[in-house]
Parts: sequence; C-alpha cells; structure tokens
Amino acid sequence: MTRGLCVLLMTCAGIVGLASPEPAARGLAQGAAQPPTTSPPVSARVTAHRGVLDRYCVTCHNERLRTAGLALDAMDVARVDGGAEVWEQVVRKLRAGAMPPPGRPRPDADTAAGLISYLETQLDRAAAAGPMPGRTEAFHRLNRAEYQNAVRDLLAVDVDVSGLLPADDADAHGFDNMADVLTVSPALLDRYLSAARKISRVAVGIAPTAATIETYRIPLLLYQDDRLSEDLPFGSRGGIAIRHRFPVDGDYSIKLRLQRTYTDYIRGLGTPQHLDVRVDGRLVRRFTVGGGAPPDAKAVPASFAGNTPLFGDPEWEVYVLEADNDLEVTFPARAGHRVVGVSFERKLWQPEGVLQPRQTGFPLAINERWDGNAAVSSVEIGGPLTVDGPGDTASRRTVFACHPNRGADEVRCARDTLARLARRAYRRPVTDHDVDVLLRFYEERRRTEGFEAGIQLALQRMLVDPEFIFRVERDPVDIAPGAAYPVSDLALASRLSFFLWSSIPDDELLDLAIRGELADAAVQERQVRRMLADPRASALVDNFVGQWLLTRNVATVTPDPIAFPTFDENLRAAFRRESELFVASIIGDDRSVVDLVDADYTYVNERLARHYGITGVYGNRFRRVTLRDRRRGGVLGHGSLLTVTSYPNRTSPVLRGKWVLENLLGTPPPAPPPDVPPLPERGRGGEPVSGRALLEQHRENPVCAGCHAPMDPLGFALENFDAIGGWRTSDARAPIDASGALPTGAQFEGPSGLRRLLVADPEPLVRTVTEKLLAYALGRGLEYYDYPTVRRITRNAAATDYRWSSIVLGIIESLPFQMRSTGS
Amino acid sequence: MIITKKALPRRTVLRGIGATLALPLLDGMVPALSAIRQTPARGMRRFGVLYVPNGMAMQHWTPTGDGTAFDLSPILQPMAPFRDRTLVLTGLNPGPGGGAHAGASTKFLTGVAGRRTDGAEIESGPSIDQLLARELGRYTQLSSLELALDGRDFAGTCDAGFSCAYTNTISWRTDTTPLPMENDPRVVFERLFGDSDSTDPAVRRARLAEDRSILDSVTEKVAELERGIGPDDRRKVDQYLDAVRDVERRIQRAEEQSTRDLPLLQQPAGVPSTFEAHMRLMFDLQLLAYQTDLTRVVSFMVGREISGRTYNEIGIPDAHHPLSHHLDDPAKIWTMSKINTFHVSLFAEFVDKMRSTEDGDGSLLDHSLLLYGAGMSNSNAHAPVNLPVMLVGGAAGGLDGGRHLTYPEDTPMANLLLAIMDKLGVPLEQIGDSTGTLDVLSV
Repeated sequence: MTRGLCVLLMTCAGIVGLASPEPAARGLAQGAAQPPTTSPPVSARVTAHRGVLDRYCVTCHNERLRTAGLALDAMDVARVDGGAEVWEQVVRKLRAGAMPPPGRPRPDADTAAGLISYLETQLDRAAAAGPMPGRTEAFHRLNRAEYQNAVRDLLAVDVDVSGLLPADDADAHGFDNMADVLTVSPALLDRYLSAARKISRVAVGIAPTAATIETYRIPLLLYQDDRLSEDLPFGSRGGIAIRHRFPVDGDYSIKLRLQRTYTDYIRGLGTPQHLDVRVDGRLVRRFTVGGGAPPDAKAVPASFAGNTPLFGDPEWEVYVLEADNDLEVTFPARAGHRVVGVSFERKLWQPEGVLQPRQTGFPLAINERWDGNAAVSSVEIGGPLTVDGPGDTASRRTVFACHPNRGADEVRCARDTLARLARRAYRRPVTDHDVDVLLRFYEERRRTEGFEAGIQLALQRMLVDPEFIFRVERDPVDIAPGAAYPVSDLALASRLSFFLWSSIPDDELLDLAIRGELADAAVQERQVRRMLADPRASALVDNFVGQWLLTRNVATVTPDPIAFPTFDENLRAAFRRESELFVASIIGDDRSVVDLVDADYTYVNERLARHYGITGVYGNRFRRVTLRDRRRGGVLGHGSLLTVTSYPNRTSPVLRGKWVLENLLGTPPPAPPPDVPPLPERGRGGEPVSGRALLEQHRENPVCAGCHAPMDPLGFALENFDAIGGWRTSDARAPIDASGALPTGAQFEGPSGLRRLLVADPEPLVRTVTEKLLAYALGRGLEYYDYPTVRRITRNAAATDYRWSSIVLGIIESLPFQMRSTGS
Repeated sequence: MIITKKALPRRTVLRGIGATLALPLLDGMVPALSAIRQTPARGMRRFGVLYVPNGMAMQHWTPTGDGTAFDLSPILQPMAPFRDRTLVLTGLNPGPGGGAHAGASTKFLTGVAGRRTDGAEIESGPSIDQLLARELGRYTQLSSLELALDGRDFAGTCDAGFSCAYTNTISWRTDTTPLPMENDPRVVFERLFGDSDSTDPAVRRARLAEDRSILDSVTEKVAELERGIGPDDRRKVDQYLDAVRDVERRIQRAEEQSTRDLPLLQQPAGVPSTFEAHMRLMFDLQLLAYQTDLTRVVSFMVGREISGRTYNEIGIPDAHHPLSHHLDDPAKIWTMSKINTFHVSLFAEFVDKMRSTEDGDGSLLDHSLLLYGAGMSNSNAHAPVNLPVMLVGGAAGGLDGGRHLTYPEDTPMANLLLAIMDKLGVPLEQIGDSTGTLDVLSV
C-alpha cells in the first residue's frame, strides 16, 4: 500500500536526517545517523559506549545481581535491535538523569549525551527496519464523554449523560479513553438500555410520561454580588444562567428558593430587591424580595448566633422563614434548549462603616446579612404541565428530514431516515440488512402508536447496537499473524474524529472515507486542519487537557475554609475557565507546545485577577492579559493545577514535583517502597523545622533520595504558590525558600527559574506532550516500540518550533496511527 | 414522585416536593411485601460487605482479651448494642503483592493480587460476593448491587503502576471484569426499580418486554460481529455477551415477579451534600434491596483506596490519606482513629435498622452475614497483614457472635472468604491463596 511505503520511507528519511534537522548540538555526537558501511568510526564509538556502560552501570546491573531485573553486561550494545525493549528503558533513565543514582559516579554530560544519541539512533534504525505499529483493541468502547458527543452529533440533542451513565475508569496514564479499562458490565448495559430509551424519546420529541422537576443548585460559597454570566443581563448580579432542555412545547413552571442560614432564616431581606426570571433573554417575571418585614415586629437580635430559645416576634419570624414561598411562575415555553436566567437587579451602593472580613464557618452559617444581598439557592424547573406538541427542535429537524403522508410514503421515509442515521451511528455504509433490523422495531411500534413513535423505538435499538457503542477494528482476512497492515479508510475516519473531537465522524469525513479518498496524505492534512479549527475540537481541551492537566479535578477539590477563607466557588470556576481558555488559545493560535509552560499571558476575570494580584481588571468576563512580572506564565502558574496538586490545608512539593516529572518531563517516579520509615518531626537539636526542611530529610536517606532527589526540588520551586495558587513569601513557619537543585547539577530559583530550566532544553517537554497525546490518540498505552515514533515526531516538529499542529499532524501521519498489527 | 397504580396529575407533582433526598422510614412497608413469606424454610441468607479505605488505627481497633471475654476497643464501641452478633477477627493476612493500595482493595474479596499493569489486560480473580451472587442471585432480579460513596469523575493516576480499575472497586465478576460501584443514589434507585417513573405493573411489564426484544436483536448482531474475531479480541465481546445474558435473566425474573406491589417511594434526586447523609441514604437503599428481595448480595465501598476525603463534620480538616501516613505519631493515630470510629458508628446505625426489620421468623440481621473491614492494617506502612475485620449478623443460625478470635500468624484472609461462602450455603474448595476454610467457632 502506498501509504505504508510512504511511512517507511519517511521513517528512513527521518533517520538519515533528510526530513529532520537536528536541534543545535549540545554535545550530541555529530552525524549520528551514519550509514553502516564505514566501519572504523562505528566500532570505535561502540567500544567507547561499551566502556561507559561497564564503568558506570554494570556494577549493579549485571547477571549476578540483576538490579531492577537488568543485566547490562549480557546485552550487546553493538546489536541494539536484539534488546530494544531494554535499551529503550536505559535511554529513558539516562535522559531523566535518574541513573546512575545520586551519590554514584556519573559520566560527564557530553559522554552521556553521546551514549543516548547512539542508542536512540540505533533504536530508530531498528524500528525502521522492522516496523511495529502495535495493536489497538478490536472492540474499543466509547467512554461517557464520547457517547455524549456522539449522541449530540448524531441527533442534535444535548443530553447530560453524566446522569445516565457511570463514569469510566482511568488507566495509569490518567486517561479514561483507554480501550483496556473500558469494560462492559451488566450494570453498564442496563444503563445503556435506559439511556437509549431516554435519549431517543427526547430526540423525537415524545412527551415525558409525567412532569418532572429538574433542580439546579447554587453552592453556598458562590458569591452573588456581581454579574455571574455572559448570559445574564448587564446590571444584574448573582443568580444563575441555566441551559435547560424543554422537552415539548407546553407550560412549565419555575420555582426559586433563596439562600438561608442554618436556622433557615432567609438572608438579605432587609432591603427590597428585584429578582428576575428570563427565558432566552425575555423577561418572564420580576419578583420583589426583601424589605417586607412588618414594621413594628421585633427581629431576632443581631448577635443571635443561633442560640435558642431566642426568637423575634412571630410576624417577623413568619416573614423571614417564608418570604420565598411564592417565588413561582408558570409560563409557556417552546421545545428545545433555552437559557433560563435568574438574577437580581444590581444596586450600586457600597455598605458604610468598617469593612468586614469575609466570614467562614459558623459565622457564615448564622449570618442573616439583613442589610446585605439576598441570594438564590436553587432553581427548580418543572414540567411539562400541559403538552401542546412536540415543537420544532434541532433534533426533530435532524431526525425527520421527510414528513410522510401515509402508507407507502411512510415506509420509504422510515427506510431513508434510518439508513441515513445508521450510517453516521455505525460509521460505515449501511446494508439493507442493517436497515431491516431497525425497521422491524419501527414497524412494531408504528402499528400501535404511529410513525414518529416507530422511529423512536428504532433509534432506541440503534443506540444500543454494539457498532454504536464500540469502535470495531477487524484484521483483514488474508494477512499473516503478527504482520502490519494499513488501517482502512473508515477506521481512519473514526480514529481522526475520536482523537480530535471525541465524537463520531461528520458527513464530510465519512464521505471521503467511503469514497476511498482519505488515504491521501494531503487530504488528511486538510481534514486535520479543518477539524482543529472546528468548535468540536474543544473536546481536546476538555478531555485530553482536562486529564493531563488535571483540570477535571478542580470541580471536586475542597480547600480548607479555615486555612483559605478567600476560596469561593467564583474562584473555582475561574480556575477552570482560565486553563480551558489558555490551552484553547495554544491550540487555536497554533502556538508552540512549549508555550504551555512558558507563555507570557493568561486569561483572567476580576475575581481571578484579584487572586493573582493583577490590577486593573474589572468584571466577570475573561480577557487575555500579558503578565508583567514573570512569576506566573504557563500552566505552572495556573491556580487550577496548583490547587489540585495540594492538600486541602497545605501545599505538597512532593505532589507538585511528581506532577512535573510525570506530565512535563515524562519520567514518573516509581512507587514508594512498602516500609516507609517515619521522618523525625524535629531537627537534630529538637527545634521545630519548616516544611521544606522536613522534606530535605528525604535526601539524606539514600533509600529515599533515589526518587525524591529529582522530584522534591521541582516542587520546592513552586512553594511560593500556596495551596490555592496564591502568591506568598512565607508559610506558617518560615520565609519561603524556593531554590532547588537537581542531581544533574542544574540549579534554579522560584517558578521563573523552573520555567527557564524546562524550556532551556524543550525536547523532554515536547516529547512528553507527544507521548501523552499519542497514547490518547491511540486509546492504548505506549510500548517500547512506539518510542521511535515519538522521537521522530518531536524531531520533525522542531522545524516549526514545536507548533501544536505539527505535533498533531505528526501523530496522524505516524506508523501506529496509520497501521495496525494483526493478532497472534 | 412514584405512586403505585397511576401517575399523578402533573400539577400535583410540583407542590412543595421539590427534590428531596431522604427515603421515608422503612417501618410499615413490610406488609405489602408478600415475597418475604415465600422463602425456603431454612432462612433466606443475605450477604453484605462494607469496605473502608486507608487501613485502620490498629492500636484502637484490636480488642483486648480473647474469646467471649473481650473489651470493645474505642473504634468498635458503637457496636456495643450488637456485641452478641459481632465476631471480631484478628490475624488474617491477605498476602503480598498487587500494589500498596491497589492490592488492598483488590485482594479483599478475591484473595488474588491484581496483575501489575497500567491498563492493558487487567486481571485479578473473581470476588466472593460475585461467586455468591451467581448462586443466590438466581432467585432475585438483581444478582448483586455494588455501592460506593466516591465517584469516579477525577483525572490522574491511582496506585503507581496499577490501573485505577483496581482501586475503584472491590467486586470482580470474573478475573477480568471489575464491576463499577455506583455512588449516585438516584441511579441505584433506578437500578432497583427501573426507570419507568412508575411502579404500575403494566407499565413496567411493557418496559421490560421492550428491553428484552432489543437485547435479543443485539445478541444476533454480536453473533455476526463475532465471526472472524481472533482469540485475542474475544475478551470484550465475551464481557458484552455476559452482560447481555445477565440483563436478560434479570428481565425474565422481573417479568415473573411483576405482579408484586411495590411500596410508595420517593426517588432520590442525586448525591446528598454531606457524607453522613450520603452514607445513610445508601444504607437505606441497601436495606430496601434486602427487604424487597431485589438482591441478596450487596457490596459497599465507603471510600476508594487513597481517599483524600476530609471529615470536617467531626473536626478533622486533614485529608484521610496523608493523615493515614501518621509516621507512628500517637496523636495522629488517635485523630485517624476518629475517622475509623465515625465509619463504624454509621455502620452501627445500619445494623440497628437491620435488627429492627422483620424478616420472616426473625429480623433481617438474624438472616444476614455482614463483613466489615479494611484491606490493610497499619496504614503508614500499607501493611498487608493482620487485617481489621469483623463479621456481624446471624447468618440464619450459622454464626455465633460475641467473640474476639485471634488466628495464628500466616492465616490467609482467603480462608475467611471460604468460611463466608460456607456459611451462606455456597461452599467453595479454594480461592486465592486459601489453605482451608477458617473455623469461626460457630455452628
């Protein structure tokens, strides 16, 4: 196949250096990719490398001791292809500077670099001679996010699948789209059946059997003093903007509940405030809350502090306990997704008197904020109370492309509709048999309930089909076991769309694949660029980045409210948004991957800017700011990452160091040993020591130092960021010392020093990103035979300064993406 | 809101109900449940597992004294009213391997250390709750129920070198199929009572028939797909088919029992906001499942291994996992033991409800066997020896409580797993590294 040959040629060309200019030499052996004909220089070098191994490695890694299962004296360094798996491990350790371990003699930088370069060249050459694309799973189940997107793109309906399907397990790489861990259990299948029913009914617009209530809660710590969303009007404050799906045309009702103290008194009722309910921007109802206490009724004392049996007058009590009983409105709505906006009208006055600190804990729980702002605690949207019809929704328009009259018309329309949808759902051309299977269900329901209900049952069957739920890749029949073959165009279309969009291919991509045109490299590149520019590529940010940068965890971290009283839900939301916008800008502007770590800008709104100490930013809207001081910049300065790598009440240099090692340098530390001895709490003289000094003791113990010496300093450099990402110059015990030194000798100070270190030699960073992205794209963990691919992609991307699109295109063109090994 | 027989008029639904979370008290529901009377005369046995993560403060767990004359330790104090139904076991070993935390949760019910893998080819052994479910589940709609309090919506890795699949569950249906543990009470409710939004038998029957016909069609499709699939690729397909068969069986059972009246129930709206409320609600659902005989096997993970949950409600703002690395500091050990005691106290509430629930000629507690424990003992050292475990319940006359039993060193935990199988009437020769059935000095 042409494509396979091209891949081979490109790989060979890469080795010989045609397509891959080497980065500026830093002691790397010149002309590393020599053809093997000129013997004397090669064997002299080989002898030199053998000498290096014998001198620095074989003392521990020999046949007799077999440290870590490695016997390097028995391996032949002249014939690297014989032990590629082991040599790849050696290269990883050498690149990380993890071996030889601290305290043992190490070769100088040039010698080590020479050995690494030699090994890598030999490994790449061996890979080119015997390409191994690896084997992806034959039945790769869609994970929950992919299922949700597939339903969205197939039926034009946004259903929150997190309530319908369980979350998926992540593998050790931290990604939840890895085929191996995507198992199927009876409980899951049960949920698929149930989800298919619900989704197909929603898509077709069948009225629910009963009215239901959807409750949207607003967390207590989301401060409602300012405008909270772009979907709420200017001049509003607080409340919530909900994207709600109204299943059918009809009457619905909205009920609001206000925020209360723990003794159930509603907050902020001292002054009248307007509370508006809007649907798609149109005002449905304006309520007035507050200011309605009976004038002579005595209130409970302001220093009430929840102590029974103190009460106010009964009339006052009734008012303050029941003022939100009537915040209910019934209104007609049209089917589809609509934005329901609940907000207060903002009053522009400031409280007089001494500014109070923000309250947390018990004071917050009991404070009625009589003269302050009322707040919304929940919005319940119920209905449909009456059903006027299925309405005209995007999903109905998508499903019902024809509207038959009766009889033969109906069958033909049903056939066409189901064939069209099944083609997208199964990601391949459909046969008559496929459509017949679905038609059986259509006929059965149509008999009792009509055309639309028939289509609904057929859709329900379609959504449970294994070819919808699984991505199926089968070996061609006539190929020997263990051989490599190019994946089919249809498989490639799915690989592309699930990689870049976490969803099914659209019609354009599918058409190209069916016509057999997707094999062409130029066509693929055009499609990739189109797909990266499409809004659906936000899935890459949500899923790849959300897991790689752990931004998904921002939703569930719980910083200790006593230690961090300023942490609120506004900040939590801002953390998430900053990281999303930042990475989206790297992808959207096609910037260098290195900018992920070394950018001079970020995205903030007023809340986040205040947290970071950036002045002059007002309002809830996120905007890009250039960072004047270089404390922050890149993901290492993002509140999201800094918070998820901390404990609730303190930072952890170990967790942060581990994250950097795993996700930026690609050298994750091994598991801790089983019997970790206790660290003494106090120093030698019995004095209390700082957090940092305690951890320093890791390095005095050689058992611990092996892992902690390369790990802790990376975390120390970030100690100026507290456990919620704010800047500090001292912790509870001592001024912050953010200097660090690695076993390789590198020294740095503070986050800017760490950043400089990481980008001085960007290759490890780019390689790590490439590795993670490749594993995510393939849906399987990487094996030793994939590392030559990673090296090649990184080398080629250097020509464009490691732009994001180069990495992505490199992955798409690569051997494991384009080809597959047959089973044994 | 779910009402038997017919749906409420739409307007009524909205009045003042909102989305409440608590189930009503369960006394008074039993009269409607005629199925309970149909049990075999021997006594219908239930099995429950409650797993707590991050080990235990052993200094405050292990009772002093042996046999019947033992003192309840501080952590076990809440079990005082049920002393006569409690067997505390000391000295059982799960065996080495499988990772510090991944091994703890994986070996607890399987006796087999999980294969060290990032994700490819996860493998352990079948767990006893699933082995029991294969037998006891023949009589119930659901063969088993797996509950948890931690969701799986988080990114990142779990135990180094071991896929998160190992720490996310304690139940393994087969050696390659870990079962998801559900933490959303609403979903558990739907699993028990279906998603028909109605307990009207006719509606439910129609729903079941629909699902059955869809599954039949799907099975045909899988048979077509299976042609030309090599042995390497069979695993997922087999999992899928196994799942289909299980759901079909459940549907069949549900159809047979569909004339039964179900009690008036409110469906929980979602995950409650506090740990206590969440745990109590899950216990209520477990109790309901036993009472309605929808299942006889329930496993419940209070927390995932490496859980970093904080327990501010009892005054502990530190994350559980780092706190469990107490460095042998007595003050920290005592603090951690308060978390352990908190868990036991919530469990004791559940045991109390089991005791007050009628079940044929006794109480639910009389006819159940509950296993409570952790997969490691000394959390600081991730010690896979001397697990903190206790058996609670009467096991339909098979268990004599009120004792603290200490076993010799090297007694495998797997021997206890065999003893449990034996007590529940499903004897097994061997599991994991077992060397024989443990003698729990009971009937």
